[in-house]
Amino acid sequence: MNASKNEGLSGGTSERVGRIVGVGHTSSQEFRVVLDDGAYLAVDDLVVVRTEVPGVGELHTYGVVVESEATYEGAAYESDVHRISEQGLQPAAKVRTAQIAVTRVDPEVWVAADPGQEVYRARGIERDRALYADEMRRPLPVGRGRDGEPVYLDLDFFDGTKGGHMSISGVSGVATKTTFAFFFVRLLAGQPALLGTAAANLRVLVFNVKGEDLLWLDRPSNEFGDDDAAAWRALGVEPTPFALATPGADAPRPRAGVPTVAFWAPPRVHAGGEVLPDVSGRQSGVAPFTWTPREFVDEELLQFVFTDASDARNQIPFVEERVRGQLRRLAVDVLGAPGAIVLREPNDREGGQRAVHSRVNERVIRTLEDVADAIGDFLEPEEGEPDRRWSAGAQLGTVNAFMRRLRAASSEARLGRLIRAGESRRIDRMAATLTVVAIQNLHELAQRFVVGALMRETFREKEETGQRLPLSVLVLDELNKYAPREGQSPLKEMLVDIAQRGRSLGVLMIGAQQSASRVAPDVLENASIRVTGRLDAAESERAEFGWMLPSTRARARLLKPGTMVLGQPAVPVPIVLSFPRVPWATRADEVLADPASDPFRGLVP
Amino acid sequence: MARLYVEDWSPEYGAPFESDTDSLPSEVIVDTQVETRGAWEPLPGRDDGVRRVAFVDGVQRIEATLTLDDPERGPLPGLCAAYAVGASVWDRDARASTFDHVRVGRLAIFGGGESPSMPAVPGMDYAVESVEGLDVAALRSTLDTRRGRAETDLVRRLAEDDCFVIADGRVDDLGPNDAVGYIKSHHRTYLTGSEARTIGTLRAGERTPMFLIPGKFERYSWYVRLMDIPGGHSWSGIARVEAPAAVGIVRARVLADRTAALLPLAAMPLHLDHRAPQNLVPIAALEKELRRWLGDDGLVRRALRAALNGVPA
Repeated sequence: MNASKNEGLSGGTSERVGRIVGVGHTSSQEFRVVLDDGAYLAVDDLVVVRTEVPGVGELHTYGVVVESEATYEGAAYESDVHRISEQGLQPAAKVRTAQIAVTRVDPEVWVAADPGQEVYRARGIERDRALYADEMRRPLPVGRGRDGEPVYLDLDFFDGTKGGHMSISGVSGVATKTTFAFFFVRLLAGQPALLGTAAANLRVLVFNVKGEDLLWLDRPSNEFGDDDAAAWRALGVEPTPFALATPGADAPRPRAGVPTVAFWAPPRVHAGGEVLPDVSGRQSGVAPFTWTPREFVDEELLQFVFTDASDARNQIPFVEERVRGQLRRLAVDVLGAPGAIVLREPNDREGGQRAVHSRVNERVIRTLEDVADAIGDFLEPEEGEPDRRWSAGAQLGTVNAFMRRLRAASSEARLGRLIRAGESRRIDRMAATLTVVAIQNLHELAQRFVVGALMRETFREKEETGQRLPLSVLVLDELNKYAPREGQSPLKEMLVDIAQRGRSLGVLMIGAQQSASRVAPDVLENASIRVTGRLDAAESERAEFGWMLPSTRARARLLKPGTMVLGQPAVPVPIVLSFPRVPWATRADEVLADPASDPFRGLVP
Repeated sequence: MARLYVEDWSPEYGAPFESDTDSLPSEVIVDTQVETRGAWEPLPGRDDGVRRVAFVDGVQRIEATLTLDDPERGPLPGLCAAYAVGASVWDRDARASTFDHVRVGRLAIFGGGESPSMPAVPGMDYAVESVEGLDVAALRSTLDTRRGRAETDLVRRLAEDDCFVIADGRVDDLGPNDAVGYIKSHHRTYLTGSEARTIGTLRAGERTPMFLIPGKFERYSWYVRLMDIPGGHSWSGIARVEAPAAVGIVRARVLADRTAALLPLAAMPLHLDHRAPQNLVPIAALEKELRRWLGDDGLVRRALRAALNGVPA
């Protein structure tokens, strides 16, 4: 922020709107304002009052309007209104008032403001103080308040310096949760000066789980107007879509300062020998991804095959853990078959420890089904008991259940297509600022597998380097699916771990959900930044939204798309903000037609 | 040297009271033939579209009973009183009413012809008055007179300011203005026989023909029905209105027609007030406002005690 402290972050001067009502008590928490003729206060407006306190001096009390009221003073009965307004026979004064919740007292002497004191609309430095923006070390403008001025988020509470993670709630269909998440990511990436060294290599991982809404982040939107552009510039960011940077894609070199995006999708099933990304909306710029059996074993991905909450209730995790260890111990590369493995005891590897020639009749593992079969050789021998080194002594029923689930998961339609030998097609999270993984066409089991595998990869990298920077951001919609309030799963455990430790490791989560009450409390409570769009009426009354004022909660049922409530540790009251439309398309039909391009270009192979 | 004290106890403390301005000599012969010759019939009201109607009223209150401790003459009675007069002005074009010309007066009235100097009471300005007698009724009648004068002044001012004035209660000296006195209670009837029976046949918005009340302040008067009250007796919903004879019979008739049309609009709904419908909506609101202007009774008394008895407030 270049503005000098005296002018405040947002400039402007405060104007008088009324006086504090002296009927009834004012308190250090709240007071009411009777408005001057020709002045008004709307809900969410910010005010400041100066009170002279004996022995302390001038006290500034800041507050936010939580309710606006009007009445006929002099009317004793409700039917008086007819006599007052219809013919005007009964004299009465229209009185407009506003209820104020105190946000801050400066200096911090919690004394009630005096009745009769003049109340000013807070502008300029006063507004910043009301919102604690003057105390934010790195204020990131994340939208506009009701007065049109920027609302700031203290970046220290997102990037792990003082706090981390963001939780976004709201009913579905209003489509603001994801949009806001990307709006925020775009602001983060667009404010390198603010983010500092972390900005350069900021990496964001996001999963597209519904439709193909996130596959147009590099395409301009036809709904984006000049007003929106102006609003973006007021927030200090030049609005552009993300620049395409999918490996292998035919894209121009991105301009400096424009964050990049890479799209990844699993391979299509039944595509013959070709590996094509499983998306329907766009024909280019999406890279297919798979893991080789080698990677599957090395990265211990087997655990993410068993992510169903019911898996945790029996002994399957014990068997899985043992099997995972055995695979790591025995897997060895096959010469001439990249990515494929065979299972051999370490003392049985002629030609070296790293890679061997496959023997005749030896099972070469090239797919997940091969993995299942190889494990089956030990756990489901044609004769005799399961190999105790693999079964961990589990009962036969458990071993059978393990195998049954593993085989079911291995089919091509489920996880099978994600694991194949050949050249490595792992997702390169370093290829672009934003990595979008399109898993909407995958079976739910496979979706959890991909999410788990990539989150673990991210988290592990950070654990190994121990470096907080560069920041890694995970955007996860429908968080309640991955970290439900009830039950256990490896995914949930990892998310809780990220929520608790990710902050210090620079792994930050932006979680979105319809019902915060259905998300594991450990995950929610660790989110320093809370954002809410329109809420279901019942949901808004839950304890998860205790950070909102009662008036804000009531209004959260009525919020329009593009309006959010922001809660952050640096500001003790929730602030309502609106954010502009985004410059990229959020649906296929929003993609701005490019007149220069050949409309049939995509149809020609 | 004589000293002033506020008495600690008095039954009238703070109680607002209305003085009865409708007391009349027992025998008044009225002339029922000034407007209509022969038998009376109800006459319909007529709204001539007057733009501004001002309802004028006053309230008064005894604030403290005083004792003047005179070393030679013994204790002499006195009282502190306050009155407020004002208007509720109905702008019919704007369809809005506003309180206007509200004035508060404070009097320290002493008996026995004494007029001691009144110590300063913060925030209140007492004008000292004295009466010859020693009885409290005489003191109170001074208050009535002062308030009445303030009301009369206000009526004239508003009339000169192009308002049609409806003053609550009887006002003796309305002058030759578009001003009427509005009397809501009927201590006696001025009419007898068939004329009196006409009152029972009035419908809402109708009036009786005018009759002339002789006296020092000669005036025309008529009865108006404000509201048809199902199950009411023949006088329920009836009010009496007076206009100064000085305006002349032609102008008086315009005023009479006007009140018959307008007053029912201002009538108080029955369920809202025990003096309904005669206690008109604007006047009820005005009274409430005027009492508010008198200030908090307890605070006034405390300030008086502090100033006169030397007791800290």
